[in-house]
Amino acid sequence: MIAPILLKIAVEALWANRLRSGLTLLGVIIGVTSVMTIISALEGMMGAIEEDLAVLGPTTFIVTKAGGVITSHEQWMEMMKRKPIDQKSVDLVSEGCELCERTCARVGGSARLKRGNNTMRRVFIGGSTFSLVDIVDMEVAQGRFHSYEDDLYRRRVIFIGDLVREELFGDADPIGKTLRLDGTKYTVCGVAKKRGTMFGESQDDFAFIPYGTHIKQFGAPGRRGIQMMIKAVSLERLEDAMDEVRMILRAQRHVPYDKPDDFTMLTADNILEALNSLTRIFRMGLIGISSISLVVGGIVVMNIMMVSVTERTREIGIRKAIGARQQHIMLQFLFEALVTTLFGGLIGIVLGYFIAEALVGMLDMQISPSTFAMVAGLSISTGIGIIFGLYPAMKAARLDPIKALSYE
Amino acid sequence: MPLIETKDLWKTYTMGSEQVHALSGVTITIEKGEYVAIMGPSGSGKSTLMNLIGCLDTPTQGEYYLNGKQVSTMNDDELAGIRNREIGFVFQTFNLLPRASALHNVELPLIYNGSASADRAAQAESALTKVELADRMHHKPTELSGGQRQRVAIARALVNNPSLLLADEPTGNLDSKTSIEIMKLIDDLHKQGNTIIIVTHERDIATRAHRVLSILDGQIASDELTPENRRTVG
Repeated sequence: MIAPILLKIAVEALWANRLRSGLTLLGVIIGVTSVMTIISALEGMMGAIEEDLAVLGPTTFIVTKAGGVITSHEQWMEMMKRKPIDQKSVDLVSEGCELCERTCARVGGSARLKRGNNTMRRVFIGGSTFSLVDIVDMEVAQGRFHSYEDDLYRRRVIFIGDLVREELFGDADPIGKTLRLDGTKYTVCGVAKKRGTMFGESQDDFAFIPYGTHIKQFGAPGRRGIQMMIKAVSLERLEDAMDEVRMILRAQRHVPYDKPDDFTMLTADNILEALNSLTRIFRMGLIGISSISLVVGGIVVMNIMMVSVTERTREIGIRKAIGARQQHIMLQFLFEALVTTLFGGLIGIVLGYFIAEALVGMLDMQISPSTFAMVAGLSISTGIGIIFGLYPAMKAARLDPIKALSYE
Repeated sequence: MPLIETKDLWKTYTMGSEQVHALSGVTITIEKGEYVAIMGPSGSGKSTLMNLIGCLDTPTQGEYYLNGKQVSTMNDDELAGIRNREIGFVFQTFNLLPRASALHNVELPLIYNGSASADRAAQAESALTKVELADRMHHKPTELSGGQRQRVAIARALVNNPSLLLADEPTGNLDSKTSIEIMKLIDDLHKQGNTIIIVTHERDIATRAHRVLSILDGQIASDELTPENRRTVG
């Protein structure tokens, strides 16, 4: 019952010392803003990466010669020495793996695309079997992806990304039209749905041609090898499907039983996990460094509260003399600290969000208001208020009324 | 049952290796409705006695009963409750909150006993009316004269209808004309039935009371009725 009045008294005292309260607030705002900016920006970036990886469905995994998270030069050298994944591997897996619903071979490189006077250089040109579109979450906006027959007869058809369509065809309907890939004529069979940008890079400047056609034009994949994308029959059997593929490939590549795999298998989860663990120290470091300003903000609060308690010793004496209990005095001062930090926390959360949005916006990513960041921000500022406000408040509550009354 | 009953009160401070007795065995009894002055030179222990009677402090030894309740063994918060309900303080330096209005200052004791907001305002207003300051209740202490400030303090002391009004040199910071006004107000409060203890070193203030307790070196040196009261009694 008394708490609301004590809160009012606290707010009035803060208002009476506007300049001082404002400066204290500033300390808290700077602290919370920096932490919130970092948390929101990191969340935004991780979210964008996660979204990008979601293109690989949860039941899909990639088999490649080298890949994943490479943490040392030795590991890189070892991976480079591996035998490439070849056509034989693809055939063995597609025939032998019972838990694999679809298997797709993929190669890629960059080339020049031209139509009339419009030219695009260094566009990623993927060569893949027709099933890629079912394995990867690539949506078709117009036309179709290439088919089994296109692949079989090595037809010169091309499935293009949205940016390629825009640059080469503008507003015209591209389906059935032709373009030149390093001088060779191709017919457009379909356009992918726009994916937007990530880290400032367009995700739509690519084109896919049938696997066979790619080999015909660019030659065999050579030492880089083929990347296999495999979709398991179900999420439950994903691990089993991966084991099956592992057995087939180890047998084909004559890997001794006591040696590790000489190829890499990755799921979207693996990649994300690896990325998370790789960036964890970096992220924690950033949050840690920005937390220093939060601690400084807390020390500012404590410092001002100590001054405030000393300055108002007589007021405390008066209040105690007329019947304020220790808890009343303590709450009054704790409220002052809490109001300051909570208010500063709220402002800091909003500011931090906008700064993070601006930062992430420069990288062409979107962030949404994160509940985690808000809850974290509010609990951190409440925590700071309690931790740094408690000692001065207890000091005030324990003052001897007689000494406090005669304090000059 | 007396309002105040102390039995052999001692208050001892340790200063370095030396023990200083501020009070050495004070035994007094004050009945409800009495008007008592406590006199003594500075250092005599009268402030210590006032602090003990006002429940701002606890004795080192001895017993103190207020309204029959043993307060000498109470803890900090229990004493705060007693001060809130039973005692109204009037200080030499007024001790008002400088930023709060007269009304808010008078409301303070009611805040700590948990009164509802509407009751607080009504009671505080009526207390300010009693000290003839109803028209100044929204003024801050800095906008009031010394005499008016002391009236606000008296209103604050009365607002909870305490058993005891404890005034510590209430006219010490006032000019003689205002002192007389304030003393008249205190006399009136006594006539209305309030028990009053006034701590002073001025004889003409003390003689307005009906009984004067003189303290010297921590002990009661004399305890006598003032001449006019002797007349009425004898």
